[in-house]
Amino acid sequence: MPDIQEDDDLVFHKICSLLEPLNEKGVKLTRDTDLITDLEIDSVSVLDIVMDIEDNYDLSIPVNTISETRTIGELVDAIHAIKKEQA
Amino acid sequence: MSLFDKFEKTAALYYQLSDAGQNPFNVVMEEVLGPTRALIKGRETVLAGTHNYLGQTFEPRAIAAGQEALAREGTGTTGSRFANGTFAGHKKLEAEIADYLGLSHCVVFSTGYVANLGAIAGLVDPSEDVLLIDADCHACIYDGCQLSGAQTIRFRHNDPESLDKRLGRLDPSVKGKLVFIEGMYSMYGDIAPVAEFVEVAHKHGAYLAVDEAHSFGIYGENGRGVSEAEGVMDKIDFYTGTFSKSLASIGGFVASNHKEVEYLRFSSRPYKFTASPSPATIASAAAALENIREHPQLREKLWSNARRLHAAFTQLGLNIPAPPAPVISVLFPTKEEAFAAWNYLLHQGVYVNMAIPPGTPGKESLLRLAVSSAHTAADIDQIVAAYTAMAQTFESARVSASAN
Ligand SMILES: Cc1ncc(COP(=O)(O)O)c(C=O)c1O
Repeated sequence: MPDIQEDDDLVFHKICSLLEPLNEKGVKLTRDTDLITDLEIDSVSVLDIVMDIEDNYDLSIPVNTISETRTIGELVDAIHAIKKEQA
Repeated sequence: MSLFDKFEKTAALYYQLSDAGQNPFNVVMEEVLGPTRALIKGRETVLAGTHNYLGQTFEPRAIAAGQEALAREGTGTTGSRFANGTFAGHKKLEAEIADYLGLSHCVVFSTGYVANLGAIAGLVDPSEDVLLIDADCHACIYDGCQLSGAQTIRFRHNDPESLDKRLGRLDPSVKGKLVFIEGMYSMYGDIAPVAEFVEVAHKHGAYLAVDEAHSFGIYGENGRGVSEAEGVMDKIDFYTGTFSKSLASIGGFVASNHKEVEYLRFSSRPYKFTASPSPATIASAAAALENIREHPQLREKLWSNARRLHAAFTQLGLNIPAPPAPVISVLFPTKEEAFAAWNYLLHQGVYVNMAIPPGTPGKESLLRLAVSSAHTAADIDQIVAAYTAMAQTFESARVSASAN
Protein backbone atom coordinates (compact mmCIF):
# COMPACT_ATOMS: atom_id res chain seq x y z
CA MET A 1 0.00 0.00 0.00
CA PRO A 2 2.66 2.61 0.90
CA ASP A 3 4.35 1.72 -2.39
CA ILE A 4 1.28 2.51 -4.41
CA GLN A 5 0.75 5.71 -2.48
CA GLU A 6 4.30 6.76 -3.25
CA ASP A 7 3.93 5.94 -6.93
CA ASP A 8 0.58 7.68 -6.99
CA ASP A 9 2.26 10.83 -5.79
CA LEU A 10 4.96 10.56 -8.43
CA VAL A 11 2.44 10.36 -11.25
CA PHE A 12 0.46 13.19 -9.70
CA HIS A 13 3.57 15.34 -9.40
CA LYS A 14 4.67 14.54 -12.91
CA ILE A 15 1.31 15.63 -14.30
CA CYS A 16 1.36 18.79 -12.21
CA SER A 17 4.81 19.70 -13.45
CA LEU A 18 3.60 19.30 -17.06
CA LEU A 19 0.47 21.35 -16.37
CA GLU A 20 2.18 24.16 -14.47
CA PRO A 21 3.39 26.08 -17.58
CA LEU A 22 -0.23 26.14 -18.83
CA ASN A 23 -1.64 27.16 -15.45
CA GLU A 24 -1.99 30.80 -16.37
CA LYS A 25 -4.34 31.73 -13.55
CA GLY A 26 -2.11 30.17 -10.90
CA VAL A 27 -4.81 27.72 -9.72
CA LYS A 28 -3.69 25.39 -6.91
CA LEU A 29 -3.40 21.95 -8.48
CA THR A 30 -5.16 19.14 -6.61
CA ARG A 31 -6.64 15.80 -7.62
CA ASP A 32 -9.98 17.58 -8.00
CA THR A 33 -8.75 20.28 -10.38
CA ASP A 34 -10.76 20.13 -13.60
CA LEU A 35 -8.48 20.46 -16.61
CA ILE A 36 -10.94 22.24 -18.85
CA THR A 37 -13.10 24.31 -16.50
CA ASP A 38 -10.56 25.18 -13.75
CA LEU A 39 -7.38 25.43 -15.81
CA GLU A 40 -9.08 26.45 -19.07
CA ILE A 41 -6.73 24.25 -21.05
CA ASP A 42 -8.03 23.42 -24.54
CA SER A 43 -8.66 19.81 -25.48
CA VAL A 44 -5.69 19.62 -27.84
CA SER A 45 -3.28 20.86 -25.16
CA VAL A 46 -4.58 18.14 -22.86
CA LEU A 47 -3.82 15.58 -25.58
CA ASP A 48 -0.33 17.02 -26.00
CA ILE A 49 0.38 16.77 -22.27
CA VAL A 50 -0.80 13.19 -22.34
CA MET A 51 1.70 12.51 -25.13
CA ASP A 52 4.50 13.70 -22.81
CA ILE A 53 3.15 11.42 -20.08
CA GLU A 54 3.05 8.50 -22.53
CA ASP A 55 6.68 8.97 -23.47
CA ASN A 56 7.68 9.50 -19.87
CA TYR A 57 6.09 6.26 -18.66
CA ASP A 58 6.44 4.31 -21.90
CA LEU A 59 2.74 3.51 -22.18
CA SER A 60 -0.12 4.41 -24.52
CA ILE A 61 -3.17 6.29 -23.32
CA PRO A 62 -6.00 6.16 -25.86
CA VAL A 63 -7.74 9.41 -26.85
CA ASN A 64 -10.99 7.72 -25.78
CA THR A 65 -9.72 7.42 -22.20
CA ILE A 66 -8.66 11.05 -22.11
CA SER A 67 -12.05 12.28 -23.26
CA GLU A 68 -13.55 10.45 -20.29
CA THR A 69 -11.27 12.12 -17.72
CA ARG A 70 -12.00 15.60 -16.41
CA THR A 71 -9.85 16.03 -13.32
CA ILE A 72 -6.18 15.55 -12.57
CA GLY A 73 -7.12 12.73 -10.19
CA GLU A 74 -9.04 10.89 -12.88
CA LEU A 75 -6.06 11.21 -15.22
CA VAL A 76 -3.72 9.87 -12.50
CA ASP A 77 -6.04 6.92 -11.91
CA ALA A 78 -6.32 6.21 -15.64
CA ILE A 79 -2.51 6.11 -15.95
CA HIS A 80 -2.28 3.69 -13.03
CA ALA A 81 -4.89 1.44 -14.59
CA ILE A 82 -3.02 1.40 -17.89
CA LYS A 83 0.35 0.87 -16.19
CA LYS A 84 -1.05 -2.19 -14.47
CA GLU A 85 -2.58 -3.50 -17.70
CA GLN A 86 0.52 -2.95 -19.81
CA ALA A 87 2.96 -4.17 -17.14
CA MET B 1 -28.66 25.92 -17.04
CA SER B 2 -29.49 26.39 -20.67
CA LEU B 3 -28.55 24.57 -23.81
CA PHE B 4 -26.58 27.61 -24.91
CA ASP B 5 -24.46 28.36 -21.81
CA LYS B 6 -21.51 26.38 -23.08
CA PHE B 7 -21.18 28.61 -26.15
CA GLU B 8 -20.76 31.80 -24.16
CA LYS B 9 -16.97 32.01 -24.26
CA THR B 10 -16.59 31.07 -27.91
CA ALA B 11 -19.43 33.37 -28.88
CA ALA B 12 -17.78 36.26 -27.05
CA LEU B 13 -14.57 35.64 -28.98
CA TYR B 14 -16.48 35.41 -32.24
CA TYR B 15 -18.30 38.71 -31.72
CA GLN B 16 -15.15 40.36 -30.41
CA LEU B 17 -13.56 39.60 -33.79
CA SER B 18 -16.51 41.11 -35.64
CA ASP B 19 -16.35 44.26 -33.50
CA ALA B 20 -12.62 44.68 -34.07
CA GLY B 21 -12.94 44.51 -37.84
CA GLN B 22 -13.98 42.00 -40.45
CA ASN B 23 -14.37 38.54 -38.87
CA PRO B 24 -12.23 35.91 -40.65
CA PHE B 25 -14.88 33.31 -39.93
CA ASN B 26 -17.78 34.97 -41.68
CA VAL B 27 -16.31 36.45 -44.84
CA VAL B 28 -18.80 36.56 -47.70
CA MET B 29 -17.70 36.43 -51.32
CA GLU B 30 -20.33 38.85 -52.59
CA GLU B 31 -19.51 38.28 -56.21
CA VAL B 32 -17.00 35.82 -57.66
CA LEU B 33 -15.06 37.46 -60.48
CA GLY B 34 -12.84 34.55 -61.50
CA PRO B 35 -10.64 31.77 -60.12
CA THR B 36 -8.55 34.19 -58.05
CA ARG B 37 -10.75 37.27 -57.58
CA ALA B 38 -13.96 38.12 -55.73
CA LEU B 39 -15.75 41.11 -54.26
CA ILE B 40 -15.48 41.16 -50.46
CA LYS B 41 -17.13 44.12 -48.69
CA GLY B 42 -17.57 45.65 -52.10
CA ARG B 43 -13.85 45.58 -52.88
CA GLU B 44 -12.13 43.50 -55.54
CA THR B 45 -9.89 41.12 -53.63
CA VAL B 46 -7.20 38.59 -54.61
CA LEU B 47 -8.20 35.17 -53.29
CA ALA B 48 -5.20 33.57 -51.62
CA GLY B 49 -7.18 31.68 -49.01
CA THR B 50 -9.14 29.17 -51.08
CA HIS B 51 -8.02 25.67 -52.11
CA ASN B 52 -8.22 26.33 -55.82
CA TYR B 53 -4.69 24.95 -56.18
CA LEU B 54 -4.96 24.09 -59.86
CA GLY B 55 -7.33 26.92 -60.79
CA GLN B 56 -10.08 24.61 -62.02
CA THR B 57 -13.11 26.57 -60.71
CA PHE B 58 -13.66 28.26 -64.08
CA GLU B 59 -12.11 25.62 -66.34
CA PRO B 60 -14.38 25.81 -69.44
CA ARG B 61 -14.54 22.06 -70.00
CA ALA B 62 -15.43 21.43 -66.35
CA ILE B 63 -18.20 24.02 -66.56
CA ALA B 64 -19.47 22.59 -69.86
CA ALA B 65 -19.42 19.03 -68.48
CA GLY B 66 -21.31 20.15 -65.37
CA GLN B 67 -23.91 22.01 -67.40
CA GLU B 68 -24.38 19.09 -69.74
CA ALA B 69 -24.85 16.62 -66.86
CA LEU B 70 -27.24 19.00 -65.13
CA ALA B 71 -29.40 19.19 -68.25
CA ARG B 72 -29.18 15.47 -69.00
CA GLU B 73 -29.41 13.87 -65.54
CA GLY B 74 -31.07 16.53 -63.44
CA THR B 75 -30.23 18.61 -60.41
CA GLY B 76 -29.67 15.91 -57.79
CA THR B 77 -29.51 12.16 -57.26
CA THR B 78 -32.00 12.32 -54.35
CA GLY B 79 -30.40 9.30 -52.74
CA SER B 80 -27.32 7.68 -51.21
CA ARG B 81 -24.63 5.72 -52.99
CA PHE B 82 -25.94 2.54 -51.33
CA ALA B 83 -29.59 2.95 -52.29
CA ASN B 84 -30.78 5.03 -55.21
CA GLY B 85 -27.92 7.50 -55.68
CA THR B 86 -25.37 5.65 -57.82
CA PHE B 87 -25.34 6.83 -61.44
CA ALA B 88 -23.08 5.79 -64.30
CA GLY B 89 -21.11 8.99 -63.67
CA HIS B 90 -20.12 7.90 -60.16
CA LYS B 91 -18.84 4.54 -61.43
CA LYS B 92 -16.97 6.14 -64.30
CA LEU B 93 -15.30 8.65 -62.01
CA GLU B 94 -14.28 5.85 -59.63
CA ALA B 95 -12.61 4.06 -62.53
CA GLU B 96 -10.87 7.23 -63.67
CA ILE B 97 -9.47 8.06 -60.24
CA ALA B 98 -8.24 4.49 -59.78
CA ASP B 99 -6.59 4.69 -63.20
CA TYR B 100 -4.97 8.05 -62.45
CA LEU B 101 -3.60 6.82 -59.13
CA GLY B 102 -2.56 3.43 -60.48
CA LEU B 103 -4.65 1.72 -57.80
CA SER B 104 -7.14 -1.03 -58.52
CA HIS B 105 -10.20 0.17 -56.56
CA CYS B 106 -11.92 3.42 -55.73
CA VAL B 107 -15.07 4.29 -53.80
CA VAL B 108 -16.63 7.75 -54.18
CA PHE B 109 -18.27 9.48 -51.20
CA SER B 110 -20.22 12.73 -50.87
CA THR B 111 -17.33 14.86 -49.54
CA GLY B 112 -13.75 14.36 -48.41
CA TYR B 113 -14.89 14.69 -44.82
CA VAL B 114 -17.42 11.93 -45.33
CA ALA B 115 -14.85 9.76 -47.16
CA ASN B 116 -12.55 9.80 -44.14
CA LEU B 117 -15.40 9.14 -41.72
CA GLY B 118 -16.54 6.34 -44.01
CA ALA B 119 -13.11 4.78 -44.41
CA ILE B 120 -12.29 4.78 -40.71
CA ALA B 121 -15.66 3.82 -39.26
CA GLY B 122 -16.25 1.37 -42.11
CA LEU B 123 -12.94 -0.48 -41.79
CA VAL B 124 -12.41 -0.60 -38.05
CA ASP B 125 -14.23 -2.79 -35.54
CA PRO B 126 -14.14 -1.20 -32.07
CA SER B 127 -14.10 -4.58 -30.34
CA GLU B 128 -10.85 -5.81 -31.86
CA ASP B 129 -9.06 -3.11 -33.91
CA VAL B 130 -6.99 -0.05 -32.96
CA LEU B 131 -6.43 3.27 -34.71
CA LEU B 132 -3.17 5.21 -34.62
CA ILE B 133 -3.24 8.75 -35.95
CA ASP B 134 -0.77 11.56 -36.46
CA ALA B 135 -1.36 14.20 -33.78
CA ASP B 136 -1.88 16.89 -36.44
CA CYS B 137 -4.48 15.01 -38.47
CA HIS B 138 -7.50 16.93 -39.75
CA ALA B 139 -10.69 17.13 -37.70
CA CYS B 140 -12.45 14.65 -39.98
CA ILE B 141 -9.93 11.93 -39.11
CA TYR B 142 -10.48 12.56 -35.40
CA ASP B 143 -14.23 12.51 -36.03
CA GLY B 144 -13.94 9.26 -37.96
CA CYS B 145 -12.10 7.70 -35.02
CA GLN B 146 -14.84 8.85 -32.69
CA LEU B 147 -17.54 7.53 -34.99
CA SER B 148 -15.78 4.15 -35.17
CA GLY B 149 -15.71 3.89 -31.37
CA ALA B 150 -12.35 2.11 -31.59
CA GLN B 151 -9.38 2.73 -29.34
CA THR B 152 -7.45 5.65 -30.83
CA ILE B 153 -3.82 6.42 -30.08
CA ARG B 154 -2.07 9.60 -31.23
CA PHE B 155 1.59 9.69 -32.19
CA ARG B 156 3.86 12.71 -32.56
CA HIS B 157 3.45 14.65 -35.77
CA ASN B 158 5.56 13.35 -38.68
CA ASP B 159 7.50 11.12 -36.28
CA PRO B 160 7.72 7.47 -37.45
CA GLU B 161 9.68 6.53 -34.34
CA SER B 162 6.86 7.75 -32.13
CA LEU B 163 4.50 5.51 -34.15
CA ASP B 164 6.95 2.62 -33.88
CA LYS B 165 6.92 2.85 -30.08
CA ARG B 166 3.13 2.96 -29.91
CA LEU B 167 2.70 0.03 -32.28
CA GLY B 168 5.27 -1.90 -30.28
CA ARG B 169 3.32 -1.40 -27.05
CA LEU B 170 0.04 -2.79 -28.39
CA ASP B 171 -1.35 -5.91 -26.83
CA PRO B 172 -0.87 -8.96 -29.10
CA SER B 173 -4.63 -9.57 -28.89
CA VAL B 174 -5.29 -6.49 -31.06
CA LYS B 175 -6.41 -7.71 -34.48
CA GLY B 176 -6.44 -4.92 -37.05
CA LYS B 177 -4.21 -1.84 -36.77
CA LEU B 178 -4.93 1.14 -38.97
CA VAL B 179 -2.50 4.07 -39.11
CA PHE B 180 -3.75 7.39 -40.50
CA ILE B 181 -1.52 10.22 -41.75
CA GLU B 182 -1.85 13.01 -44.33
CA GLY B 183 0.28 13.78 -47.37
CA MET B 184 0.63 17.54 -47.05
CA TYR B 185 -0.64 19.06 -43.81
CA SER B 186 -2.71 22.14 -44.51
CA MET B 187 -1.72 24.32 -41.57
CA TYR B 188 2.04 24.58 -42.13
CA GLY B 189 2.26 23.09 -45.63
CA ASP B 190 4.70 20.44 -44.36
CA ILE B 191 4.75 16.95 -45.84
CA ALA B 192 4.83 13.51 -44.27
CA PRO B 193 7.76 11.07 -44.54
CA VAL B 194 5.32 8.55 -46.06
CA ALA B 195 7.99 5.98 -47.02
CA GLU B 196 9.23 5.75 -43.45
CA PHE B 197 5.69 5.45 -42.17
CA VAL B 198 4.99 2.60 -44.62
CA GLU B 199 8.01 0.76 -43.33
CA VAL B 200 7.14 1.19 -39.66
CA ALA B 201 3.46 0.34 -40.15
CA HIS B 202 4.14 -2.80 -42.18
CA LYS B 203 6.86 -3.96 -39.81
CA HIS B 204 4.15 -4.18 -37.14
CA GLY B 205 1.53 -5.69 -39.44
CA ALA B 206 -0.46 -2.43 -39.50
CA TYR B 207 -2.23 -0.86 -42.49
CA LEU B 208 -1.34 2.67 -43.59
CA ALA B 209 -3.92 5.18 -44.86
CA VAL B 210 -2.82 8.52 -46.31
CA ASP B 211 -5.20 11.45 -46.71
CA GLU B 212 -3.93 13.33 -49.76
CA ALA B 213 -6.68 15.99 -49.68
CA HIS B 214 -4.19 18.82 -50.20
CA SER B 215 -1.63 16.97 -52.31
CA PHE B 216 -3.76 15.16 -54.93
CA GLY B 217 -2.88 16.54 -58.35
CA ILE B 218 0.09 18.45 -56.95
CA TYR B 219 2.93 16.29 -55.61
CA GLY B 220 4.85 13.55 -57.40
CA GLU B 221 5.88 13.04 -60.99
CA ASN B 222 2.29 12.52 -62.13
CA GLY B 223 0.63 14.59 -59.43
CA ARG B 224 -0.61 11.53 -57.59
CA GLY B 225 0.40 12.97 -54.25
CA VAL B 226 3.08 12.88 -51.60
CA SER B 227 2.91 9.06 -51.63
CA GLU B 228 4.05 9.17 -55.26
CA ALA B 229 6.76 11.74 -54.51
CA GLU B 230 7.97 9.38 -51.77
CA GLY B 231 7.96 6.44 -54.19
CA VAL B 232 5.44 4.33 -52.25
CA MET B 233 2.16 4.58 -54.21
CA ASP B 234 2.11 0.79 -54.49
CA LYS B 235 2.91 0.26 -50.81
CA ILE B 236 0.38 2.41 -48.97
CA ASP B 237 -2.82 0.55 -48.11
CA PHE B 238 -5.47 3.26 -48.45
CA TYR B 239 -5.47 6.60 -50.21
CA THR B 240 -8.18 9.15 -49.38
CA GLY B 241 -8.89 12.40 -51.20
CA THR B 242 -11.34 15.12 -52.05
CA PHE B 243 -12.76 16.76 -55.17
CA SER B 244 -13.14 20.06 -53.32
CA LYS B 245 -9.58 21.32 -53.73
CA SER B 246 -7.48 20.63 -56.84
CA LEU B 247 -10.57 19.42 -58.75
CA ALA B 248 -12.71 22.38 -57.61
CA SER B 249 -15.93 20.40 -57.21
CA ILE B 250 -17.47 18.52 -54.26
CA GLY B 251 -17.01 14.90 -53.27
CA GLY B 252 -14.40 12.56 -51.86
CA PHE B 253 -12.98 9.08 -52.32
CA VAL B 254 -11.07 6.16 -50.87
CA ALA B 255 -8.76 4.24 -53.22
CA SER B 256 -6.77 1.08 -52.61
CA ASN B 257 -5.13 -1.98 -54.09
CA HIS B 258 -6.96 -4.05 -51.48
CA LYS B 259 -10.07 -5.33 -53.24
CA GLU B 260 -11.73 -5.47 -49.81
CA VAL B 261 -12.10 -1.68 -49.92
CA GLU B 262 -15.28 -2.52 -51.86
CA TYR B 263 -16.71 -3.76 -48.54
CA LEU B 264 -17.15 -0.10 -47.61
CA ARG B 265 -20.14 -0.10 -49.91
CA PHE B 266 -22.05 -2.09 -47.33
CA SER B 267 -20.03 -1.61 -44.13
CA SER B 268 -19.71 2.17 -44.12
CA ARG B 269 -22.58 4.22 -42.72
CA PRO B 270 -21.25 7.50 -44.18
CA TYR B 271 -21.50 5.80 -47.60
CA LYS B 272 -24.95 4.41 -46.99
CA PHE B 273 -26.81 7.19 -45.25
CA THR B 274 -26.13 10.44 -47.06
CA ALA B 275 -26.96 11.61 -50.58
CA SER B 276 -24.39 11.06 -53.32
CA PRO B 277 -22.75 13.96 -55.17
CA SER B 278 -25.02 15.48 -57.82
CA PRO B 279 -24.55 14.69 -61.54
CA ALA B 280 -23.12 18.16 -62.20
CA THR B 281 -20.53 17.96 -59.42
CA ILE B 282 -19.45 14.50 -60.55
CA ALA B 283 -19.20 15.56 -64.19
CA SER B 284 -17.18 18.68 -63.40
CA ALA B 285 -14.84 16.72 -61.11
CA ALA B 286 -14.30 14.16 -63.88
CA ALA B 287 -13.63 16.89 -66.46
CA ALA B 288 -11.21 18.68 -64.11
CA LEU B 289 -9.38 15.39 -63.54
CA GLU B 290 -9.01 14.86 -67.30
CA ASN B 291 -7.84 18.41 -67.64
CA ILE B 292 -5.16 18.26 -64.95
CA ARG B 293 -3.92 14.92 -66.32
CA GLU B 294 -3.52 16.44 -69.76
CA HIS B 295 -1.93 19.63 -68.49
CA PRO B 296 0.96 18.96 -66.11
CA GLN B 297 1.92 22.59 -66.73
CA LEU B 298 -0.86 23.55 -64.27
CA ARG B 299 1.09 21.79 -61.55
CA GLU B 300 4.32 23.39 -62.72
CA LYS B 301 2.71 26.83 -62.64
CA LEU B 302 1.43 26.21 -59.12
CA TRP B 303 4.91 25.26 -58.00
CA SER B 304 6.58 28.24 -59.65
CA ASN B 305 4.02 30.57 -58.01
CA ALA B 306 4.61 28.86 -54.66
CA ARG B 307 8.38 29.15 -54.95
CA ARG B 308 8.15 32.79 -55.91
CA LEU B 309 5.92 33.69 -52.97
CA HIS B 310 7.96 31.61 -50.54
CA ALA B 311 11.18 33.32 -51.66
CA ALA B 312 9.61 36.77 -51.36
CA PHE B 313 8.26 36.06 -47.86
CA THR B 314 11.56 34.58 -46.75
CA GLN B 315 13.34 37.70 -47.93
CA LEU B 316 10.90 39.78 -45.88
CA GLY B 317 12.05 37.81 -42.83
CA LEU B 318 8.57 36.40 -42.19
CA ASN B 319 8.28 33.47 -39.80
CA ILE B 320 7.46 30.59 -42.19
CA PRO B 321 7.40 27.06 -40.73
CA ALA B 322 7.97 24.93 -43.86
CA PRO B 323 9.76 24.81 -47.24
CA PRO B 324 7.91 25.97 -50.39
CA ALA B 325 4.50 24.27 -50.72
CA PRO B 326 1.05 25.12 -52.07
CA VAL B 327 0.28 26.35 -48.55
CA ILE B 328 2.55 29.04 -47.12
CA SER B 329 1.88 30.06 -43.54
CA VAL B 330 3.22 32.93 -41.49
CA LEU B 331 3.31 32.45 -37.72
CA PHE B 332 2.32 35.06 -35.13
CA PRO B 333 2.91 34.88 -31.39
CA THR B 334 -0.66 35.89 -30.45
CA LYS B 335 -4.09 35.60 -32.00
CA GLU B 336 -4.63 39.34 -31.58
CA GLU B 337 -1.63 40.08 -33.80
CA ALA B 338 -2.64 37.44 -36.34
CA PHE B 339 -6.13 38.89 -36.44
CA ALA B 340 -4.87 42.46 -36.92
CA ALA B 341 -2.51 41.31 -39.68
CA TRP B 342 -5.31 39.34 -41.34
CA ASN B 343 -7.50 42.45 -41.41
CA TYR B 344 -4.58 44.49 -42.65
CA LEU B 345 -4.06 42.14 -45.62
CA LEU B 346 -7.76 42.20 -46.42
CA HIS B 347 -7.64 46.00 -46.52
CA GLN B 348 -4.75 45.64 -48.96
CA GLY B 349 -7.06 43.55 -51.13
CA VAL B 350 -5.64 40.11 -50.27
CA TYR B 351 -7.75 37.40 -48.68
CA VAL B 352 -5.95 34.64 -46.75
CA ASN B 353 -7.04 32.31 -43.91
CA MET B 354 -6.47 32.86 -40.24
CA ALA B 355 -6.03 29.90 -37.91
CA ILE B 356 -5.76 30.05 -34.12
CA PRO B 357 -5.19 27.44 -31.41
CA PRO B 358 -6.41 24.78 -30.80
CA GLY B 359 -6.77 24.49 -34.59
CA THR B 360 -3.05 25.04 -35.14
CA PRO B 361 -0.19 22.60 -34.51
CA GLY B 362 1.69 24.67 -31.94
CA LYS B 363 0.61 27.40 -29.58
CA GLU B 364 0.92 30.07 -32.26
CA SER B 365 -1.65 31.64 -34.54
CA LEU B 366 -1.06 31.81 -38.24
CA LEU B 367 -2.07 33.33 -41.54
CA ARG B 368 -2.30 30.69 -44.18
CA LEU B 369 -1.94 31.46 -47.86
CA ALA B 370 -3.04 28.90 -50.45
CA VAL B 371 -1.36 29.30 -53.82
CA SER B 372 -3.16 28.72 -57.13
CA SER B 373 -1.82 27.95 -60.58
CA ALA B 374 -4.39 30.53 -61.70
CA HIS B 375 -2.71 33.34 -59.76
CA THR B 376 -1.52 35.75 -62.44
CA ALA B 377 1.67 37.78 -62.30
CA ALA B 378 -0.51 40.74 -61.24
CA ASP B 379 -2.10 38.65 -58.43
CA ILE B 380 1.32 37.58 -57.19
CA ASP B 381 2.61 41.17 -57.30
CA GLN B 382 -0.36 42.34 -55.28
CA ILE B 383 0.13 39.58 -52.71
CA VAL B 384 3.85 40.37 -52.36
CA ALA B 385 3.14 44.11 -52.03
CA ALA B 386 0.52 43.47 -49.34
CA TYR B 387 2.81 41.12 -47.39
CA THR B 388 5.68 43.60 -47.68
CA ALA B 389 3.57 46.34 -46.12
CA MET B 390 2.28 43.85 -43.53
CA ALA B 391 5.82 42.78 -42.58
CA GLN B 392 6.74 46.42 -41.98
CA THR B 393 3.67 47.05 -39.85
CA PHE B 394 3.75 43.81 -37.83
CA GLU B 395 7.21 43.24 -36.48
CA SER B 396 6.09 40.11 -34.63
CA ALA B 397 5.55 38.34 -37.96
CA ARG B 398 9.28 38.40 -38.66
CA VAL B 399 11.79 35.89 -37.34
CA SER B 400 14.48 38.47 -37.59
CA ALA B 401 12.34 40.94 -35.64
CA SER B 402 14.34 40.71 -32.44
CA ALA B 403 17.65 40.92 -34.26
CA ASN B 404 16.68 44.17 -36.00
C1 LIG C 1 -6.78 16.91 -44.65
C2 LIG C 1 -8.19 17.08 -45.07
N1 LIG C 1 -8.96 16.00 -45.26
C3 LIG C 1 -10.23 16.12 -45.65
C4 LIG C 1 -10.82 17.34 -45.86
C5 LIG C 1 -12.29 17.41 -46.19
O1 LIG C 1 -12.52 17.59 -47.53
P1 LIG C 1 -13.95 18.05 -48.05
O2 LIG C 1 -13.90 19.55 -48.14
O3 LIG C 1 -14.11 17.41 -49.37
O4 LIG C 1 -14.98 17.59 -47.08
C6 LIG C 1 -10.04 18.48 -45.71
C7 LIG C 1 -10.57 19.81 -46.03
O5 LIG C 1 -11.23 20.49 -45.34
C8 LIG C 1 -8.72 18.36 -45.28
O6 LIG C 1 -7.96 19.44 -45.05
